[in-house]
Amino acid sequence: MSTDPIWENSRATDADVPLTEDIAPGTANDPPAGSTAGATVTIDGQAVETEAGATLLDACETVETDGEVLALCSYDDEELIGPRSECRTCMVETEEHGVVPSCSFPAEEGMTVETGAAAASEARDVNLDLLLSNHNLLCTTCGANGRCDLQDVAIQNDVVEPRYGVMHDRSELEPIDDSSPFIQIDRNKCILCNRCVEACNDVQVEGVLRMEGSGEDTRIGFQNGADTMMESTCVSCGHCATVCPTGSLVEQGLVDATTLPVPGFTHKNSAEEIVGEDYEGQPGQMTPMKREHSTENEPRANAESTVEGDD
Amino acid sequence: MATRKGAIGDDSIIRVPVGGEHDGTDCLAAAEDAAETVDVVAVGSTGVDALAPLVLATHDGATAFLFNCTAERTRAALEALEGGSLPDAAATVEHDPGTTDLPTPPKTNGSAALGVGSRRVLAGCGWRAPTSVADYRAARDGDLVVESAAPDPDATRERIGDAALRGRGRGDGSTDAPISAAWTTASETDGEPVVVVNGNEADDHARADRLLLESAPLAVLDSALATAHAIDATDVVVYVNDAETLARRRAQEAADALADDRDLDVSIGVVAGPDAYTAGEMTMALEALEGNDRLEARRRPPGPAQYGLHGRPTVIHTPRTFAQIEQVLGDENLGGVPRDPGTRLFTVAGDVDAPATIELPTDATLDDARGAVALDGGFKTACVGGRFGGLARDLDVPASAPGLRGARLGTNGVIELFGESTCSVALAGRRAKLAREENCGRCVPCREGSKQLVDLLRDVYDGEYQAGMLRELARTMRETSTCEFGEEASRPVTTAMEAFEPEFRAHADGRCPSGTCDGLST
Repeated sequence: MSTDPIWENSRATDADVPLTEDIAPGTANDPPAGSTAGATVTIDGQAVETEAGATLLDACETVETDGEVLALCSYDDEELIGPRSECRTCMVETEEHGVVPSCSFPAEEGMTVETGAAAASEARDVNLDLLLSNHNLLCTTCGANGRCDLQDVAIQNDVVEPRYGVMHDRSELEPIDDSSPFIQIDRNKCILCNRCVEACNDVQVEGVLRMEGSGEDTRIGFQNGADTMMESTCVSCGHCATVCPTGSLVEQGLVDATTLPVPGFTHKNSAEEIVGEDYEGQPGQMTPMKREHSTENEPRANAESTVEGDD
Repeated sequence: MATRKGAIGDDSIIRVPVGGEHDGTDCLAAAEDAAETVDVVAVGSTGVDALAPLVLATHDGATAFLFNCTAERTRAALEALEGGSLPDAAATVEHDPGTTDLPTPPKTNGSAALGVGSRRVLAGCGWRAPTSVADYRAARDGDLVVESAAPDPDATRERIGDAALRGRGRGDGSTDAPISAAWTTASETDGEPVVVVNGNEADDHARADRLLLESAPLAVLDSALATAHAIDATDVVVYVNDAETLARRRAQEAADALADDRDLDVSIGVVAGPDAYTAGEMTMALEALEGNDRLEARRRPPGPAQYGLHGRPTVIHTPRTFAQIEQVLGDENLGGVPRDPGTRLFTVAGDVDAPATIELPTDATLDDARGAVALDGGFKTACVGGRFGGLARDLDVPASAPGLRGARLGTNGVIELFGESTCSVALAGRRAKLAREENCGRCVPCREGSKQLVDLLRDVYDGEYQAGMLRELARTMRETSTCEFGEEASRPVTTAMEAFEPEFRAHADGRCPSGTCDGLST
């Protein structure tokens, strides 16, 4: 594709990339997490050396801890994502500050942490069960079955019967957003960890996804106000699906990848309703909305390109 | 409407309150219309709704108190003053003609609320012209707080530290904790510090901050300026509710008046934020000031003292705290208990004739507040501390932060009194629902916990009272939520369980002892 005019033009001009100040992810301007200096902390009786910027979770991860520090919503692979400290399943007890969220609490010199303390362990258990109470726990028909962080920590924490039950009332389920041919959203599995929003805004700088609403109506929405993924300005980069800890954002090809063959029981009929299943073929990865607002693909009048479009 | 014309030391004057719940705007117009030689000055409310509008006619060192005044009575009072005599009134008090504090009538015929507790930070409310620097200076023997504090920031910080003054109100950066720690952190953190006056409070029962901004904004701003100098801040931002237009206007006028009075090297801005309960939380206040279109609590630590408005080191206090700072820096004897010196403002509300905002020294007990209002019917319970306060069977509780906390009550300056027909289970349930509906949605213990809290209370009505589950959930919400909203959201439930356990059991048995819950027999 060396004759593709798109690349020549996009380098030569100020391409239509959203400015960061135009991005409205709906999330707070959080302070930096982690310590300002290296320190020695004690985790369950073991001395741990930490570097500047370290959190208590970083310190916990270097040793065998007494308690299971689940830290479900924490994401290690990308510096620009988190810590959101939303799920509060990383709580540990400190001598200095009581029970604190280890994922974002700075590792300060001399701190003493007990991961197995009753208060911390109860807090992690209750918060994990609270997450499960709002999760459509149909693992057998879920595209993330076997590659789901929520499933992993539930197993790790020996959850047999979540104390608040799981979301099972079909009338309470939100329709699955199947409008995009690339990524499917099932909000009934979303734990609102915000990883997708940060991947979309802070890593890809696309400005598509946002956190919206409040209280029990809090959900992942679109910055252009669209109701469905297809009407959003998504470019189908897939980063949101990559970072999603559950089966809430899944690549279309993988939606049924891990579904167990139970006759008549599929992922799509697990929820009452599907929106956007009748989409017509989408030639490129950009949604029509993005394409409409985008000028990148069109040769510019002042561009010094001598190459005409292929068709 | 508000005027910078002073009211203090005027020999023949009529004061008309503009602000508060029962506004005296009609009376003001009537008085201004008829006035020839007598001065007419708009003041703020006294905080006592039962007397409002309270018009004060002063002549020759005596003041007539005209409770619930009308335009006609104001005109009549003015005519009497023009004729050189005081009008007839329910109460008349003689006082020093130059007094800068509202004279207090004897506790007669319904005016008792003005005599409840001690009016120190409220002293000028209803008496001094809110935005008159002359009045404010008169009350302070001529000097502004900022004038003595500005030249020596270290000494100012030291005095605040020595006084061990604690922050007041849920929107404060140092709620119930000594404020000097935040001052030190903010002044030692890299960056340009800023001072935020957080007057945003959507709880209609917590009126003290609004009262101060409407009736005594100069004391708030003067001490905010002194704070700015103490931490080397370049600006002060006053943050109020969108709906509270008068508080906003008075704050702006007070800022302008101070700027006219002396060269300010610290700028003051006045900004309105959403009328949502969450918008008063200290970090959501900062989010609103930064212009975020969706409010959610910020992760912490570090708190605002290190990473506040636009990431700047920020000292954020409520007007109530600044009013106490004025007392400290003005060398007043703070009084109260050493662990929480000074006074605390409480709005007494609930099943009462009219709410009243009163001031109690921290060595008083909440019982003293009862005299400020008339309760409809017999007293059953009080919810102390605001929307997510604690339920108590009696008010024999110290008015200090440690005292209130020790009794597991809230410190946001509200005492709601409820009569015998109030069902404590239903009351706790209503507060749990508010938590479920109004939380910002960020953290799991608050967002999901408040849902389960409501569900577990619903189970009580369905015959199952799971006290252990409720306590465990409440504990987790309290200890692991990101901000004070989630930390406090379960308090009405846990305190109700403590104080009214038999009522919970009765509901599980299908009976509401108060006879108010639908579907349950008495």
